[in-house]
Amino acid sequence: MPATASTPPDPIEQFQPFLDKVTALLADPALKALPKKEQCQRVINVVRERFDFREMSKRVLGQQWRNLSDQEQDQFERLFTQLLQYAYVGKIDDYSGQKVEFTQKRIKGERAEVQTLLVDKDRSIPVSYILVLRGDQWMAYDVVVEGVSLVRNYMEQFKEILQKEEYAGLIQQIQSKISQFEQQHKQS
Amino acid sequence: MHLRRLHPLLLEISLSIAVSLAVFAGHAAADDFLNDESYEDKVSTDVPDPIEPVNRAVFTFNDKVYTWVLDPVATGYSKVLPADIRGCIGNFFYNLGEPVRSANCLLQGRFRDSGLALSRFALNSICGVFGLADTASHEFGIAPVKATLGETFSVWGIGDGFYLVAPLLGPSTLRDFTGSVVDSYAMAAYYPWGSDEVSPVVPFGVNTVNRTSLHLGEYEDLKSMSFDPYVAFRNGYFQMRSKSRNHSQPNNQQ
Repeated sequence: MPATASTPPDPIEQFQPFLDKVTALLADPALKALPKKEQCQRVINVVRERFDFREMSKRVLGQQWRNLSDQEQDQFERLFTQLLQYAYVGKIDDYSGQKVEFTQKRIKGERAEVQTLLVDKDRSIPVSYILVLRGDQWMAYDVVVEGVSLVRNYMEQFKEILQKEEYAGLIQQIQSKISQFEQQHKQS
Repeated sequence: MHLRRLHPLLLEISLSIAVSLAVFAGHAAADDFLNDESYEDKVSTDVPDPIEPVNRAVFTFNDKVYTWVLDPVATGYSKVLPADIRGCIGNFFYNLGEPVRSANCLLQGRFRDSGLALSRFALNSICGVFGLADTASHEFGIAPVKATLGETFSVWGIGDGFYLVAPLLGPSTLRDFTGSVVDSYAMAAYYPWGSDEVSPVVPFGVNTVNRTSLHLGEYEDLKSMSFDPYVAFRNGYFQMRSKSRNHSQPNNQQ
């Protein structure tokens, strides 16, 4: 990976076109005509451009990450990404043209936060993206909605599962959650 | 009724002493997402949950109330009233809380915020037609100020005690719950309607249904994404609280 330049690139400059691309895709009527699974795949392919799911997986497991073998790390990353894909990206139908406004940015070394407002009909929801600098690209590893961090929220739930059922139990729970979502998508 | 008007401040102070005797001190600093430490395992909740079995039972009860009573009622309500009117009703109740918020800011030594809350009350009550519109935010650029008695207690060094899920009211801590009870009692002292003991319950109900109608579906969404909804909501509550109490954030000051 190339060394970081002394002045980091503007995170908003990189994130704005990305979010425009995501909202344009979500608003595209052609997307909704596709089968659910295909829809999810299309969206996740775009989301991957600016989301570092490995970093996300690493943080959501905390110290436990280091105790995993390489294969286990890959497995966890794959399952966790799939989970988010179904849980969040599966909500494509809920998108009805909400606009994204950029309100603020903060940079601290190789970390940055881009604050946005998701403007809906009757209210606005503050959504922040927490980014890490990879070379000269800002990549997101956490989403903070109304002050609640997705990663930290899952981290606490996973921590309790790991304490009781260890890694194997956690994997099993994630897998059953994914198949639960898959069932729902088949029905709808 | 003169005694009732004296109540709020006296009660806030005397109760804070009682609570401080029962609860030991401890104050969680606001986390910064850009610090890697804020993601370390230890953070989670600094507040212990010794009565988890009881809390889980109340959580299940609240969940049933939400699913079988509150959600259907609020759904019907949202079909009858359009979103902007429901927004006005929300504003109206929020505006009634401004004097209490202003008093809490004073008690926390946030003098500027205290004045802002009071000006918001004046502006919205007069120009915003009894608080139905948030003129102070939209026309005068005075963003809402957040302050509760629970936060006042925390500023005074009183610890959370423990995590508490209150029936119908939801996640809280011993300290914050005590604070909300006093806050709502203080608000009831100047509600524009009846002064008996029962009438404050009616606006509480209306406010709850109204608020729920503006957030329909979110609860179900969060629940369906969780592995252990109890832990997910506990964690979400503490994260949200730490954000609303971080007054150094520029977007809270404007």
